Amino acid sequence: MSPFLVVALAGAGSFLLRISMLVVAARTGVPAIVERAATFAVPVSFAGLAAGALATRAADLGLGALPAFVGVAVGIAAVRRTGSARSAILVGMPTIWVLSALTP
Amino acid sequence: MLDPHPLRTDALVAPAALTRRHDLLAGAMAMVPWLTGIVPFGLVIGVRAAQADIPTFAGWLTGPLLFGGSAQIAVIDLLDAGAAPAIVIGAALAINLRYVLYSAKMAPHWRGMSRWWQAAAASVMVDPSVAVGVAGYERHADERRAHRHYFGGAALLWVAWMTAIAIGATAGASVPEALHLELVIPLFLVGEVAARLTTRAALHAALTAAAVGALGVAVPLHLGPMLAVAAGVAAGLHADGGWHR
Repeated sequence: MSPFLVVALAGAGSFLLRISMLVVAARTGVPAIVERAATFAVPVSFAGLAAGALATRAADLGLGALPAFVGVAVGIAAVRRTGSARSAILVGMPTIWVLSALTP
Repeated sequence: MLDPHPLRTDALVAPAALTRRHDLLAGAMAMVPWLTGIVPFGLVIGVRAAQADIPTFAGWLTGPLLFGGSAQIAVIDLLDAGAAPAIVIGAALAINLRYVLYSAKMAPHWRGMSRWWQAAAASVMVDPSVAVGVAGYERHADERRAHRHYFGGAALLWVAWMTAIAIGATAGASVPEALHLELVIPLFLVGEVAARLTTRAALHAALTAAAVGALGVAVPLHLGPMLAVAAGVAAGLHADGGWHR
């Protein structure tokens, strides 16, 4: 099968996933269980993706990934203290730069 | 000659236009922090598409058609490795399965809009646009303003993403490694999660998803993110009073 066709089919399937609940909601309303599950959509998706990225980094770099983990921990503390999601980057990235410069 | 619309003066029309522009710009500005991590990611995908044993244009097409970095990387990698089409498509759909939940999240806000409008909005539904969009719906009581906030962010994201992939594919651009910009996205994701942990159920859900997401990198076919979402949602529902509350 042509790579173009594979990409097109994967794209079409992804679009169907994106509109799935919009279509369902228009006809019957979103099922209650899905509506409740959707309240967790952002936290679980983002937590899973972030943890996967960090785990991949740890697998690739070993102890070299330590600055990233410290930066994330400091970033979480900053968010919990300030209530602003952006402070994770504002505090976490400088932490990672300093630690990366200090570690061999 | 009398003005047939005496009240329709510039002074009265301009504020509405200004509000529309302001909402679009506010959405775009809310997207800017994401771009610092997304643009390098797009460049990397472009470079990968150019290096892979597939037509470069097919690799670039993953941008507009899939519009999701993780799925794009999976598709390009698996096509390059010569995987069967069903495996490639299945992996992409497994990674993008979280869009069903995003779709459910946005459905109440988009109800009543035309099908074409919903199709356009859904086509750019991805992690950053959902985050920016949800913030807009939380901020604006008037959903029309929140819709513009969503599209302002999504439009900037779309343009930046396609441009980054194209530059990566054609020029092989690279970003100085010392900046560690690849960590901006995990940090932003973590920040968005930490800011949303306002209930015990959300905490259970996020911690479970993080644990499964970390362990899931060893799972073949890039199924880790899908398993993380499923486990996280199950933990959240369980902590929120069970499945049949």
